[in-house]
Amino acid sequence: MSMPEQLIASDTVNTTCCYCGVGCGVTATVANQQVVSVSGHQQHPANKGRLCVKGSSLHETQQSPDRLLSPMLHGEPVDWDTALGYGADKFRAIIEEHGPDAVAFYLSGQLLTEDYYVANKLMKGFIGTANIDTNSRLCMASAVVAHKRAFGSDAVPGCYEDLEQTDLLILVGSNMAYAHPVIYQRVAKAKEERPELKVVVLDPRRTATCELADVHLPLRPGTDAFFFNGLLNFLAEQNSLDAAFIRDHCTGFDEALAAARAQVPSLNAAAGHCGLDAQELAQVYHWFAGTDKVVTVFSQGVNQSSSGVDKGNALINCHLATGKIGRPGAAPFSITGQPNAMGGREVGGLANQLAAHMGYDNPDDIARVEAFWQAPNMARKEGLKAVDMFRAIEEGKIKAVWIMATNPAVTLPEAGRVRRALEQCELVIVSDCIGNTDTAKLAHLVLPATTWSEKHGTVTNSERCISVQKGFLSAPGEARHDWQIICEFAGKLGYGEHFTYPHQVDIFREHAALSALDNNGQRGFNIGALAAIDRAEYDNLRPIRWPVTTEAPAGTDRLFTDGRFFTPDGRARFVPIQAKAPGLAPAPDQVVMNTGRIRDQWHTMSRTGTAAKLLGHVDEPYIDVHPADIQRFGLTPGDLAILGNGQARYYGRVKEAASQRQGEVFVPMHWNQKYALASCADDLVNALVDPLSGQPEFKHTPVTVKPFTQAWNGFLLSTGDIAPACEYWAKITLAGGYKFRLADGRLPEDWLAWLKALYPAITDWVRVSDSGGQFFRAAGFIDGVLSVVLSTATDKKSAPEMRWLEDQLNTRIDANARFAILAGTPGAGVEDVGAIICSCFQVGEKTIEKAIADGCGSVETLGERIKCGTNCGSCIPELKGFFK
Amino acid sequence: MVQILKVVVHEHQKVAVVAHTRKRLLIVGNGMAAGRLLDELLKRGCPQLEITVIGDERQGSYNRIMLSPVLAGETRAPDIIGKPSSWYRDRGIRFVSGVQVKAIEREQQCVLTTEGSRLRYDHLVLAVGSRPATIPAENQDLGNLFSFRTLRDVDKLLNLARFHHLHGRQTDTDALVIGGGLLGLEAAYGLALKGLRVTLVHRSGWLLNRQLDDTAGGFLKQVLEQKGIDFVLSDEVARFTGSHQLTGAMFKSGRQLSCKLGVIATGITPNKELGLAAGLAGERAVAVDDTMATSDQHISAIGECVEFNGETFGLVEPIWQQCISLADRLCDNTRTPFVNAPVPTKLKVSGVNLFSAGEHLTKAEHRELIYRDDNAGIYRKLLLKDNRIVGVVLFGDTRDGQDYFAMMTEKQDVSAIAPLLLMGRAFYRAEDSEAA
Repeated sequence: MSMPEQLIASDTVNTTCCYCGVGCGVTATVANQQVVSVSGHQQHPANKGRLCVKGSSLHETQQSPDRLLSPMLHGEPVDWDTALGYGADKFRAIIEEHGPDAVAFYLSGQLLTEDYYVANKLMKGFIGTANIDTNSRLCMASAVVAHKRAFGSDAVPGCYEDLEQTDLLILVGSNMAYAHPVIYQRVAKAKEERPELKVVVLDPRRTATCELADVHLPLRPGTDAFFFNGLLNFLAEQNSLDAAFIRDHCTGFDEALAAARAQVPSLNAAAGHCGLDAQELAQVYHWFAGTDKVVTVFSQGVNQSSSGVDKGNALINCHLATGKIGRPGAAPFSITGQPNAMGGREVGGLANQLAAHMGYDNPDDIARVEAFWQAPNMARKEGLKAVDMFRAIEEGKIKAVWIMATNPAVTLPEAGRVRRALEQCELVIVSDCIGNTDTAKLAHLVLPATTWSEKHGTVTNSERCISVQKGFLSAPGEARHDWQIICEFAGKLGYGEHFTYPHQVDIFREHAALSALDNNGQRGFNIGALAAIDRAEYDNLRPIRWPVTTEAPAGTDRLFTDGRFFTPDGRARFVPIQAKAPGLAPAPDQVVMNTGRIRDQWHTMSRTGTAAKLLGHVDEPYIDVHPADIQRFGLTPGDLAILGNGQARYYGRVKEAASQRQGEVFVPMHWNQKYALASCADDLVNALVDPLSGQPEFKHTPVTVKPFTQAWNGFLLSTGDIAPACEYWAKITLAGGYKFRLADGRLPEDWLAWLKALYPAITDWVRVSDSGGQFFRAAGFIDGVLSVVLSTATDKKSAPEMRWLEDQLNTRIDANARFAILAGTPGAGVEDVGAIICSCFQVGEKTIEKAIADGCGSVETLGERIKCGTNCGSCIPELKGFFK
Repeated sequence: MVQILKVVVHEHQKVAVVAHTRKRLLIVGNGMAAGRLLDELLKRGCPQLEITVIGDERQGSYNRIMLSPVLAGETRAPDIIGKPSSWYRDRGIRFVSGVQVKAIEREQQCVLTTEGSRLRYDHLVLAVGSRPATIPAENQDLGNLFSFRTLRDVDKLLNLARFHHLHGRQTDTDALVIGGGLLGLEAAYGLALKGLRVTLVHRSGWLLNRQLDDTAGGFLKQVLEQKGIDFVLSDEVARFTGSHQLTGAMFKSGRQLSCKLGVIATGITPNKELGLAAGLAGERAVAVDDTMATSDQHISAIGECVEFNGETFGLVEPIWQQCISLADRLCDNTRTPFVNAPVPTKLKVSGVNLFSAGEHLTKAEHRELIYRDDNAGIYRKLLLKDNRIVGVVLFGDTRDGQDYFAMMTEKQDVSAIAPLLLMGRAFYRAEDSEAA
């Protein structure tokens, strides 16, 4: 197809990582159509040779057992023509009857820019609705609006080097050590070389990132804007403002300062609002005031809030007020979650954007894009943002949705409600590389897409750096590139002539041309200099930071170096901020649930969950709880507890965590119904959103907490993926299959029946049972191969997990070793005696052979030495046989 | 205790002084108990004893447990004869074979044989064993209906089995074996190996019902069925059919089966008559004290013909202990009390390993631990009470039987190792050492 053939042949390939927004360059070694190893690309500016544990495991997550290989219509494989014909006919019929706003696309920061571009073009220009949104809504939307309000454009001012070159690095709501490990490593190295580089972490939790911090300020959740309003007031009081910069390059300072001062008039007021020690707070304020080069990195702790945009602007206000922007080592820096979150923003693949940094607030933009696309059905108003989009699906206003490369059934707030909405939706199309995500399970039509190492196109990381993610393996089965699927679908809708691209580069060129169209330096995103790129240049594109224009053909490391912004008057705008508390305060019997990433997992685990190695660090959903709350709620570390909000439940193992503030718990966001029965954090998150960005408040959900009263617990090892019939299970990938950790409030009446119901095909079982109910263990074999092990107990110690046992799964087990399987250990200190010869004294063949080898020369001496044959004497003929 | 010992020593000195000649020890019976007693006596080197053995069988002492391999042809008869005639001769023991003792004349300290001769003794040992138990079926006095007790029984069966193909009469089965205990199973297995179609009849609902529970009994039945044995369980023969020769059986259930031969192997009855007729104390058998002395100080008894504290014996282990106790007294005048300790049943039926000790049927008061591997034919059951093992039933893999038995007799608290107990000592012992 469109596979660059010279790449297939080569042994090593430079590409990019498919995980976080750092956007690391990856050098993959390929042999026999397999990625055999990966390493960091030495020359890539994002990582300079480094890789984190997720990136280092890319080759171990290549072979998913759940890989989707064929289009599936109502669960049955069909050919592409049938699949797309079905989808297009339904789309057309719904549009004809209910109008274009009755359909929607929900995209992903995992898509490549070219995929994004054609999806956006099809929806907004041809189908005629802006109901196209993306999981970037859950991640970056607040920063986008904050950037646009302050800079007139969604543009990150600095680049990664600024984090190394600064003298004060403030990390706000960012657990960089886990979420952006390579940048964290770069900062750690810089701090090692220049210990005077100060690092401050603002986070309610004491995260792993705090290891690097000179000061950790454990502020009350959601009070970031109070902190920065207080800082702005402090800077003014301390006379630490850059008056010239404010005067020459900004507007709205007085209003912003007045608002800040009115709300947070003093340092003590700031400390009070934020729940911080006033002295520690003062220290950081003084550092900010007294340091010329400051970078403030902000991430989901700021963005995922019902007032995330304001938080971003409160923070940016402080940088503008001190002129700490547009210079090396000085910038507010939004760090994104996904590999191509920014690429999606560039093409405008969001409901409140149009295309290429153009918006619905400008009729000229609409006309310009309409003409450029030769669009017959131009959408002229914003569409529905993610939460509203799925609400409209629930209400039946949207009747068809196409979800690409993302898993909203897990990731949206009130995820259970989203699942129910999808269940009743008239048409759900999912295109993904994995066929059984929680979302794909709800789809009528599932389309197999290519994935990392197969797909080919560009991505943009957090520092505006465009890189090529390369396709170097052929797609398995029927899988196709997302852009191809979209273009063919467009063809079925009758728009084929506008979606005929021989190669990804043709899409890229069109995208680049649109970015430059009538730009004149007014729109931040401009890669016009790449509009005539040839295919070879594209395939081997050197990582480059936009804007890329005739004036800056090698790209642009930093924006705003000349103090000019993308606003109509060229000035940055201060935004007066009235800081707000989170949307819901906890009731007296509730705690606040915070959500976030763990080190080794990515999003909903559909890729990282398949590598045993990546479940070694944390393998089960958990709840970090402050010791005082453990006492208060009667919890036990290591036991399960249940968080509740309305009907939704999150089951997790209690971890005692002094890193938590009292009254607040933390849970990982990754688990979903593929990896645990009821441990989807977002089921509990309320669908409260920022009114400006539409981004949900994932970081602050009042929940109840109570211990889970279990009747039994245990584990199940299984070569096959199943759904155990019990109240709690969490799945852990092993080399030979899966481990399920289990617990339930009720004991099954018959354990073997419980097991056989899960594995009706297995007939070869061995088990131990206990009428006292303390334990039950069983193992199932298929042709001698260990396929299932169940171990349960009513106490907490009688079903211990054993690494040795896990290694036996999916291996052939000798008949003698079946005891060991149920014991869970190979056994020690007792030799295998062989077949029993002397029944009376239980003397085995091997023991006898050994005694003979040691010098026993007759049946009589054997009897003296090891007693065999000296009781009933029945074995004496057999013993004689040893001497023949 | 010390007091008694002194008296015994005193008496011994008196005997030694008065009768300066060797003491005549007469052993009646030449089965396994007698054979073992001889071994124990010789081991002690007893020059003061002049030993005579009278046996009604022609051979020297042989291993009765091995009759079934002989029947099956796995072992030859000479191989199970531990003591051929030469053995007695070489050791200066007088061996009177093929002779039965009719009566004991205690006053004269002699025995009367069926041949009419009398043998004097200074000390007499009764080791006359037992005989096959009878069953309450009618018409048992038929040709081709055997017991399974002696080499002679086996000879007859072998002879018949050898010729059964020549008798072309169509029957439901070739051999009908009565009794699903150890003896019956062995007889059935031996005959099956000879190529006969065998049907085993057992009164209980499962085999070896005194040692196994129904599950283990079921496992055993399954294994034996694969070896060509049919079973009629929960039924009994009401009457045998045939006028001179056995032709079949009618069952209490009304079932009828025709056959060519039958074996009754339902158990044993102690041969108590010789002793009790002479006025020795005893009810079910000849009563002995814990040094194997009967109510007559010149007469001792061992083996299946004795009764100790109301118990009779059928397994070799306690009988071996009896031999030790008696040999210590006769040779060394040492008192080694016989203790009727619990004995595990370790059976090797037809190549299938079984082990049973203590209780074998699960009751409400028990905590029951079970290991079960249907494919490998392994079943293990431990019955616990107050965290102590009170019962062991092992089928198919008996390697840890002795260990369980030791824990049972030592009343060891096994609660801490319960989950690993059934997997064997390789696992729960390892746990012990780790914990330590």
